[in-house]
Amino acid sequence: MSRGAETKEQTARRFAGRLALVGLCFVLAAASLVARAVHLQVFNRDFLNQQADTRHLRTEKISAHRGAILDRNGEPLAISTPVDSIWANPQELAVAVDRVPQLARALDMDPPLLMRRITRSMNREFLYLKRHLSPEQAHRVLALKLPGVNVIREYRRFYPAGEVTGHLVGFTNVDDEGQEGLELAYNYWLGGESGAKRVLKDRLGRSVENVESIRPPSPGKDLRASIDLRLQYLAYRALKGAIREFDANSGSIVILDVESGEVLAIVNQPSYNPNDRAQYSAERYRNRAITDIFEPGSSIKPLVVAAALESGEYRPGSLVDTSPGFVRVGAKRIEDRRNLGRVSLTTVLARSSNVGVTKVAMALEPDQLWGTMTRFGLGSLTASGFPGESAGLLTHFNHWRPINQATLAYGYGLSVTPLQLAQAYAVLARDGEHRPVSLVVQPELPRGQTIITADTAQAVRRMMEEVVRPGGTGVKAAVPGYRVAGKTGTAWKFTAGGYSKDRYLSVFAGFAPASAPRLAAVVVIDEPHGELYYGSDVAAPVFAEVMAESLRLLAVPPDSLPARDADGKLMQAMSR
Amino acid sequence: MSAHNITMPFPARLRSPLKLDPVLLGTALALLLGGLVILASASVAVSDDAVGNPFHYLERQAVAALLGVGAGFVCLLIPMQAWRTLGPLLLLAAFALLVVVLLPGVGHTVNGSTRWLRIGIMNLQVSEPARLCLILYLSGYLVRHNKSLRERFTGFAFPMLVVSAACGLLLAEPDFGAAIVLLATALAMLFVAGARFRDFFVFFAAGCIAMAVLALTSPYRLNRLTAFLDPWADPYNSGFQLTQSLIAIGRGEWFGVGLGDGVQKLFYLPEAHTDFVFAVFAEEFGLAGSLCLIALFGVLLLRIGRLALRAANADRLFEACVAVGLGTWLGLQVFINLGVNMGLLPTKGLTLPLVSYGRSSLIVTMAAIAILLRIHHELATDASPANRRRPRRRA
Repeated sequence: MSRGAETKEQTARRFAGRLALVGLCFVLAAASLVARAVHLQVFNRDFLNQQADTRHLRTEKISAHRGAILDRNGEPLAISTPVDSIWANPQELAVAVDRVPQLARALDMDPPLLMRRITRSMNREFLYLKRHLSPEQAHRVLALKLPGVNVIREYRRFYPAGEVTGHLVGFTNVDDEGQEGLELAYNYWLGGESGAKRVLKDRLGRSVENVESIRPPSPGKDLRASIDLRLQYLAYRALKGAIREFDANSGSIVILDVESGEVLAIVNQPSYNPNDRAQYSAERYRNRAITDIFEPGSSIKPLVVAAALESGEYRPGSLVDTSPGFVRVGAKRIEDRRNLGRVSLTTVLARSSNVGVTKVAMALEPDQLWGTMTRFGLGSLTASGFPGESAGLLTHFNHWRPINQATLAYGYGLSVTPLQLAQAYAVLARDGEHRPVSLVVQPELPRGQTIITADTAQAVRRMMEEVVRPGGTGVKAAVPGYRVAGKTGTAWKFTAGGYSKDRYLSVFAGFAPASAPRLAAVVVIDEPHGELYYGSDVAAPVFAEVMAESLRLLAVPPDSLPARDADGKLMQAMSR
Repeated sequence: MSAHNITMPFPARLRSPLKLDPVLLGTALALLLGGLVILASASVAVSDDAVGNPFHYLERQAVAALLGVGAGFVCLLIPMQAWRTLGPLLLLAAFALLVVVLLPGVGHTVNGSTRWLRIGIMNLQVSEPARLCLILYLSGYLVRHNKSLRERFTGFAFPMLVVSAACGLLLAEPDFGAAIVLLATALAMLFVAGARFRDFFVFFAAGCIAMAVLALTSPYRLNRLTAFLDPWADPYNSGFQLTQSLIAIGRGEWFGVGLGDGVQKLFYLPEAHTDFVFAVFAEEFGLAGSLCLIALFGVLLLRIGRLALRAANADRLFEACVAVGLGTWLGLQVFINLGVNMGLLPTKGLTLPLVSYGRSSLIVTMAAIAILLRIHHELATDASPANRRRPRRRA
């Protein structure tokens, strides 16, 4: 070893000394590391943790489950199912801009369109790319692993009964808020309150841990609609068939439970499928039975007769002279189809004599006639609470001229909704007690209000039964095995320039079984274009079909069975 | 483990059983195995995102560790005398590696730095073996020219010229961190081997000026320099990586958030599995873990220092210089890496020995540990009576 003149000991000693100096440097370095670690992990931790939280912690919405809408028997009419919505942070997605076409394909969207939406939202941190995807499709999108693309759980509404209940149930918008129908009317009840939670996110925006719940979501409550889906279906089918058969513009059917005032069925044509709102058409979306008004024509006559009986001036047998088949009120000539001569009040109703009922109405005090009509609920909103409901029109008697009072008697110069008419008929069916109608199941029977005497109601009912008997105008509304009471109506439609001569509205309103009414129903067919247009020919058969099936379905005991002989055989005379 | 009783299957080379330093081996193994666990935690998210296999980086690092064990065994069997005589060849090899990597089309470039050579399944970071070769060569030189080192400027200037040339090649990659480590290691070796303070300070001053000029002429280095002083001034740009690292460390508090529960490794902290693995570790194990890690490295360095001292006392200056060189290198790399992670030093791309993901670094570090174990073995067997008898038997 060429180490020069130096002893081993000298070399070793110097080496040791210098090594110690190097070692000292390392000790100082280690000490600085320890001090720094203590500084960061003990003294600086609050600041650093706060910095961490601003980067990691995000508040996320927890969508609340919206309550279901069920029919009175628990059948689902509107239910919420979980779906996934894809959202993105455009700023983070910007780095993978070349993969946007890929993303667009996975989302089933137009690539240039998606690209425009993303670039337009560059200054935002949240952008819905596509909402309400199936979990499978959302999974495919997430599998692309694009930065800033995330999923959020939402709920979307499904309407199992589709167009059959579309008008009543309505629908929600993409944010799960009610827009129409019961969905809107009971939004406060159905809609839950979305909750919030604090989550830990990785830098790609994915939640890795639920840190805490800020506010749990409170789910919405279920709603029991008053309708019976079975009745709703059969009414819808019958209405749709009639509209096609008579080539009509539109139509409505309302069925009320007489005792409770609950609506058991309410259908309209044309309808729409709330599950598919791609083709929006305001005309199809209206719940005409509640929002549209019409002049009731002859179907108003039972109410006029009721007012007449209430006045004490008339009894069902009171004779009214309808000759010569017309009557003049001012400049207006009111006529019957043929001269009936001197007939009872019952016949006036059964044969739907305009002359007879006009004379009766003119004999009444205006305030009494108006008061009776008003108490029947005409001219004011029902208790349904349905959005967009119409109150109808009933001019105050102060503004009446004689002609108004006269036309009112046979259903012109006032307007009602089908629901209002059904409500009024239900009063007759209920022995004169008025109960508010309801679209939801009532926890207990609402208190009614007697507006006409039971005697009057029963008398009118008996008179209305004559309408359906042979010789009356409503024979086609008869239901085998049941006594039916009702009234036809055929109204000329009021168009620009006066009443049209070839556009009609056919109505049949009634209830059954007449001995102890269970169901009240109104059928309105608007503008039948076939050869038949009278309420007796168009609306009455539909009423019969719907009423017959409904009574059977609800197992209502028949009250007009053919009499049997001792052997249980049908007696020949009653067989048909 | 029965470190003292392993009998090697090469009786020609090793007549006595291997005498391994249990402390050195133990701390190195603890760091290696613990490092794999930390690496698994730090790399799982990045691996899954990059290649779809959450254990991608762990598996590669584990294979490298096995290769490192193999390299270690080979180094354990090579007598120190062989390294000493091979010195000039090692110097040649080091420069060959550093030059070849810079040839256009040969080196592999990542993030703008050409530091790797593709060999078979893995990329070799040439600075790692080159540094080992240079330390071994330098040790031989310091022994051969010890007198001139102590007495003449040329004795100091020649090795510094060699090292400066190597540093120049490293800067050309560019790999500023590796150049600094190599230069500092060489200076420490020269200093301990007896270089005159005078020469030393002249070079030191020149070096400082050169480094300052370098840092100021390259804007990205200036950026990095200012960023580390106040990372919160621009936490979303130049200070991004460091603030994320500091946040990770701060989140650890006393005892950490628990293994695997760290959040910063979830793409917040860039290079979480390589240069910033300590931040992930500190987040998951807290101050207790940080101090344990520093202590483990401290024990390792202390043991190496003791080894160097024993070698010097046994008149084995070559082995002593190798130990000083390897110890300084490891110690510097640990200090710089932890300092960078904790914001004490400007951000440099240096791995944490035995822990960070980096296969070249791991294999070479394990080879270096093996060489240190070999020195311990030779010192231990030298002093034993059995060894003293050996020359007599040969004679």
